[in-house]
Amino acid sequence: MQLFVNIIVLSSIYALIACGYVLIYRVSRVLNLAHGELMMLGSYLLLTTASSFSGHPAAAIAAAVVLSLTVGVLVYVFLMRKMTGEMALAAVLTTVALGILLRGLMVLIWSAQQQYPGQALGFSNPAIALPGGGRISTFAALLVLATALTYAALFFFLRFGRWGVRMRAAGQNPLLAAQRGINLHAVYALAWGLSTLTGSIAGMLISLDSGLTNTMVIIGLKAFPAALVGGLDSLAGALVGALIIGAAEVLSIQYIDPLLSDVVPFLILIAMLVVRPWGLFGTREELDRV
Amino acid sequence: MRPSIVVAAALAAGISGSASAQDAYVVGITAALTGPPASTYAPAMDALRIYLDGVNARGGINGKKVNLVIADDSAEPSKAAANAKKLLTQDNAVLLINASLSSTYAPVVAEAKNAGVPLLFASSVCPRDVYPPANEGQFCTTAFASTYDSRAALAFVKETAKEQVKIGFSAMAIPLSRGEMEFAAKQAALLAMAALPIEVIPPPTADYTPFATKLKDAGANWVFSWAPWVTQVRTFEALRRLDWKGDFITWAHLEAEGELKRIKDPKLFVIGANALFEDNLPIQKEIAEANKKAGSKYPPEQMTEGWIAGMVIEAALKGAGWPATAAKIQASMSNLKVDLKGLRGGPIEWTKDNHFRTKQYYRIYKWDGSKIAVVKDWYSYDVK
Repeated sequence: MQLFVNIIVLSSIYALIACGYVLIYRVSRVLNLAHGELMMLGSYLLLTTASSFSGHPAAAIAAAVVLSLTVGVLVYVFLMRKMTGEMALAAVLTTVALGILLRGLMVLIWSAQQQYPGQALGFSNPAIALPGGGRISTFAALLVLATALTYAALFFFLRFGRWGVRMRAAGQNPLLAAQRGINLHAVYALAWGLSTLTGSIAGMLISLDSGLTNTMVIIGLKAFPAALVGGLDSLAGALVGALIIGAAEVLSIQYIDPLLSDVVPFLILIAMLVVRPWGLFGTREELDRV
Repeated sequence: MRPSIVVAAALAAGISGSASAQDAYVVGITAALTGPPASTYAPAMDALRIYLDGVNARGGINGKKVNLVIADDSAEPSKAAANAKKLLTQDNAVLLINASLSSTYAPVVAEAKNAGVPLLFASSVCPRDVYPPANEGQFCTTAFASTYDSRAALAFVKETAKEQVKIGFSAMAIPLSRGEMEFAAKQAALLAMAALPIEVIPPPTADYTPFATKLKDAGANWVFSWAPWVTQVRTFEALRRLDWKGDFITWAHLEAEGELKRIKDPKLFVIGANALFEDNLPIQKEIAEANKKAGSKYPPEQMTEGWIAGMVIEAALKGAGWPATAAKIQASMSNLKVDLKGLRGGPIEWTKDNHFRTKQYYRIYKWDGSKIAVVKDWYSYDVK
């Protein structure tokens, strides 16, 4: 049972992070390599709001969520907007530069030491006993729940929401979408905002569960194979990819060698790139555009 | 932007004051002030800066100021090499300090050796070359010491355990940590403990529970971890979340004191060579006051390692006199004894052949229900 719980928790972490990669790529064809840093920024924002709204955890969390969404929109407005129409590679390199800048700034502002947003908010993180003998921490359980809700919300938003349909249209054919009167910049800004928000939620929940250090950024990168294995333009693919990567990691820790867990995601990724480069649920056309 | 942030930004960029001033002792530092392992090194370097600022405010050493030039290497060997070259050739440092990952050592050692400048490892792990018979140009003040730490920790486990010890090991997937845990596993077997397989955890890991699950399933009643703090504490907390009831002993890194107070678990033991601030020594009050006055971002209890480095550097430069040359400083360091005023169990003593210390002292602490308490007072091992 514990093995199953471990797989679900790790897969949920990767899935929640991976959907941010997919959202931006699906809409604007940009691979956001600063996603890990933006995720970590969300956690630091929670740390800051926790001290600003001392004694009011709900307000602190709400403020951090709003700030994360705003940061994503601002990244697009002040940085990525200038990349619109440029080569995809230029935009990707811009995100690399953004990541380096954010990493440095976060150390300078919040220092390099380990922090605990949960402590600042006055939360404890007791373990919950599950039927079958498994155990899960409260925030890990919340993370699993948040992942399920996020994917469900994104599914309905993209399928039925007015702005969701616009996002899909902009992703499929930006020229045609613009000719139909869709404000592409607004759509792209929304995609960046939502992507940063989902990443930040993942970062906040991870840091509430086990603390916050500046190594979190690498966890963001470890979710990248999940998005690629599933297909970079497919949210369902990100979910399945995260499950495959999460299960492979946990099973290799348990039955083969813990060290292998660091390599397994990339072995799966390489195998997928050889056999089906566009991923399990991706489309061949999207890969050609890359 | 707050002034402290501006200062930190300047430090991170390797910007310094009048670095080329030749009427001062120029000490160059390449340190991991940013990058994943920065939490280990940045507080120590902040403490060193505060200590030497205090020395300068009191009139300097031998009537001369100490000019500290700090360059960030982000724990990257290529940056560390470039920093070392710049510090030695442009800033004319007469003493070089490395406070970064062991992967940066080779290029920094090479640069220091070429320039004939002594190299001090402060807050970074002591390399083999500082132990007897020591390399003439390398020295170390850092508290932790491979093999000695495991011997001291396991000796404590042996004398404390009331039942047959079945001990698990948790390492980070870096050569140093793995090597130490492999040594510890062999040592445990010699002490008639049942040594379980070592859990080697990649850095960083999103969830430590799968590793903890394996340790628990193996039936460990003790776990020993010697790794960066994040691996140590997250393994422990994951074990507790799995309802593991055993004892956990781990190295007392800079973060240990604050973490003992946060976790409040009476079966979490930290073994270290530095006194925790719970001792309330006069020198610890001095550190706390200096920390407050300087407006440091780091808590005073994380400053001991850097403070000790500062005390040793002050003594070394004092012994070298003025005008200082690298050779004179190296000669001074090769015959040095510094009273650490209780920050460790005894002095740091360097001889011609021993640039680590002649005795390594240990103390063990835990949370006793209301405060941090000494579980086992200073005990020592001769370093030969």
